[in-house]
Amino acid sequence: MTHNNRFFLMLFSTLFLASPDADAGVSLHAAGSTTVLPIVSEAASAYHKAHPDITITVSGGGSGVGIASMIQGTAEIGMASRDTTPEEQAQLDNRADGKVDNMVIARDAVAVVVSKAVYLGGITHLSLAQIADIYRGKVSNWKQLGGPDAKILAIDKEASRGTRHVFAEAVLGSSHARAPGASLITGSNNEEQAIVARSDQAIGMLSNAWLNDRVRGIAVDVNGQSIKPTIAHIRDGSYPISRGLHVLLPRHAAPEVRDFVHFLLSVDGQAIVKKAGYLPVR
Amino acid sequence: MAKFPWMKFAILAVALPALTLPVACFSYIVWQGLPSLNWQIFSGQGMSGFGLENGLYGQLTGSLLLMLGAAAIAAPVAIGTALFSRLYLNNRLRTHIITLLHLMQGIPPIVYGLCGLVVFVHILHWGISLLAGMLILAIIIMPVLVLNSLHALERIPLEHTEAASSLGLTDAQLIYRVWLPEAWPAMLTGLLLGMARALSETAPILFTATVFSGVIWPESLFEPVTSLQTHIFYLAQEGANAQVVGIAWGAATLLIGLILLFSSSALLLRRMDKRQRIGP
Amino acid sequence: MLKPGLGLAILLMLLAAVAVPVFLLQASIPFWQAAGISSIWSSEWYPYEQLYGLLPAIIGTSWAILISLAIAIPCSVAAAIAASEMLPPMLAEKARIGMEVLAGIPSIVYGLIGLWVLLPLLQSSLDLLTGHSLLAAGLMLALMILPTIMLMTMDALQQVPADQREAGLSLGLDWTAQLTRILLPAAWPGIRSGILLSLGRALGETMAVMLVVGSMDRLPQPVYNILQPAQTLTSRIGREIGEAAFGSIHFSSLMAAGLMLAIMGLSISLLANKRP
Repeated sequence: MTHNNRFFLMLFSTLFLASPDADAGVSLHAAGSTTVLPIVSEAASAYHKAHPDITITVSGGGSGVGIASMIQGTAEIGMASRDTTPEEQAQLDNRADGKVDNMVIARDAVAVVVSKAVYLGGITHLSLAQIADIYRGKVSNWKQLGGPDAKILAIDKEASRGTRHVFAEAVLGSSHARAPGASLITGSNNEEQAIVARSDQAIGMLSNAWLNDRVRGIAVDVNGQSIKPTIAHIRDGSYPISRGLHVLLPRHAAPEVRDFVHFLLSVDGQAIVKKAGYLPVR
Repeated sequence: MAKFPWMKFAILAVALPALTLPVACFSYIVWQGLPSLNWQIFSGQGMSGFGLENGLYGQLTGSLLLMLGAAAIAAPVAIGTALFSRLYLNNRLRTHIITLLHLMQGIPPIVYGLCGLVVFVHILHWGISLLAGMLILAIIIMPVLVLNSLHALERIPLEHTEAASSLGLTDAQLIYRVWLPEAWPAMLTGLLLGMARALSETAPILFTATVFSGVIWPESLFEPVTSLQTHIFYLAQEGANAQVVGIAWGAATLLIGLILLFSSSALLLRRMDKRQRIGP
Repeated sequence: MLKPGLGLAILLMLLAAVAVPVFLLQASIPFWQAAGISSIWSSEWYPYEQLYGLLPAIIGTSWAILISLAIAIPCSVAAAIAASEMLPPMLAEKARIGMEVLAGIPSIVYGLIGLWVLLPLLQSSLDLLTGHSLLAAGLMLALMILPTIMLMTMDALQQVPADQREAGLSLGLDWTAQLTRILLPAAWPGIRSGILLSLGRALGETMAVMLVVGSMDRLPQPVYNILQPAQTLTSRIGREIGEAAFGSIHFSSLMAAGLMLAIMGLSISLLANKRP
């Protein structure tokens, strides 16, 4: 037998004999929303410390990815920062291996963020109609809204992102509404945060946990009152663009998966939620 | 020649960005990255979030595993292909094989990633996995490897092969006693270059083999990994955080260092091989 | 046993070569059936509204490549001439080694430079709303293909036979004429392959482009405006492939974008393979 043949025998035996469950340890995979990711990533490493035989890998991609990974069965846990669309729900319901449960593990606000210079230039609060005008392209300079004389860099997000759905639903009336006024499309929260921080004239949409000195969340005018995207306003429901952060798991999921989701809802898990800057649900 | 050499000056002026900019980029990366390449970046002490609870250890492991796997899959196939074409194919067929390999090289790596996503991740249900990444990278580096091996075999003087046949050597003996001893440095050069290439590809493994966090050592070939390349991509989006920016440059320096290790050994080997063939 | 063993190797290689186009075609068929060939020249890309116009990405890819070649070809050919015809051979050898090293820097690392150095620079120096633009993508690509064209041009120049050089000198040609009438024409096939090789690389480059191009699925307005955020085929795939469900038209449309990339890449290598 030649050297070559032997190699392929070895290769193929590794391919077909090493089944995913052959090892003692269990590996779970969570995928989806980058808003939910910090919670699950942090909880996964805490959980791994307590249960060394269970590793949980985490990847982002957005809520669309989280829901698609449940439909396709490519992950054990889906993360989403929005509700499923009717089409997605139908696909989830028709899955071959049973229905998918959807649990809210935290709440947050989709903050309307502006660059520090814009905030200091006088844009500290806007109405939903004014924000819609920006994204529809009817307003293109901050001066028109009482701010500094600078063009508006309106940042949109990729179409399946949870933050985009929730924002567009509240501001533009439909989660898939077009935003002709937008001039840049970003993906993850981090990417958008970095761009807003570097600009002097940007507006965007971010989870309230991503606010900082250079990325300011403005108040939204509701019935003559300006409501800031704070934890207190999410809790009392007065901030108009808030949402639940979900994890999805198949109803017939392995006990380890269920136990991990229990951990997310436990005192320790909810402490991670709070530390990440979100509103705990328990 | 008394005339002012304006052409030389014009050429130098246009050449200047090409000669300086890449060097400037390289120095800038290393200058930004070296300070963060300390023990902490491997141990992960004092870092949380960004998928760095264990430093860059897991990412380094993942990159190396992907590269080694790709090389281990591609090398025997490539060398076997080269030997088969040299032994059993006529010139015309061999030219066709070479054309085919050039065509394979023309397909962008991300397209191989797409095909791998369809076949390995979805149709074969491996999911996002180390093995999928290894196979995709193996296909990407395969043409370089075959072409290099073929080239190395073709450079062996015909007399050596003829002398071997007149001694009554079988094909296998010919390969082991004559061809491989003469061609291995060039073949190894190709393999090292292929490994450097496998380390630098990012897009094809981004959605087929790697995840954001949670892996240090994958439990099996069907588990996903983390890798330096893809982690630099995730960190790149965190431009607002000074600590992360430092780590990203550090990871970039580390990755370049690894790639240089392989590509410079390849260049060194090629030089030695050339000198040996020409004679002292 | 030798022949079957080696035969298995070549079969596996051929299998890989055949499987790639087959699966690419097969996976993109649902898209061609649903959206039709006309989506190539339609400009609206809204997967949620079943609009899959590929034109913005195709135009973006073309612009990015054009910009990169327009910058990289003159610069790198000039650099190769400077290195191999003006510098002493020792230094030329050093320059070559340096370029070989630089050619190995991975695209994702160039992406970091693009994102954190080039974009702020463009934004402030050209007074743009954002540095994300086709220009940024083109500049990144130019930087990445410079070493390739330069190395291949150097090779080609150094392989010009000595008797051709001497023939030029004996005709009394000065340096400039020697270069333009003897050296460059003789080296042209090598330069041409260098250009085509980098053209292929620029076409398929994903990471660096994806980070700086802005991912805006809109035609540049007007069409020669390269200072606006735009989209390329590779960046479209890289950004959306993760979120498209396998089996959906959206997924299939991205496979179609991949198929177009493959066809363009294959045509370029065919062109490079056919010696003029």
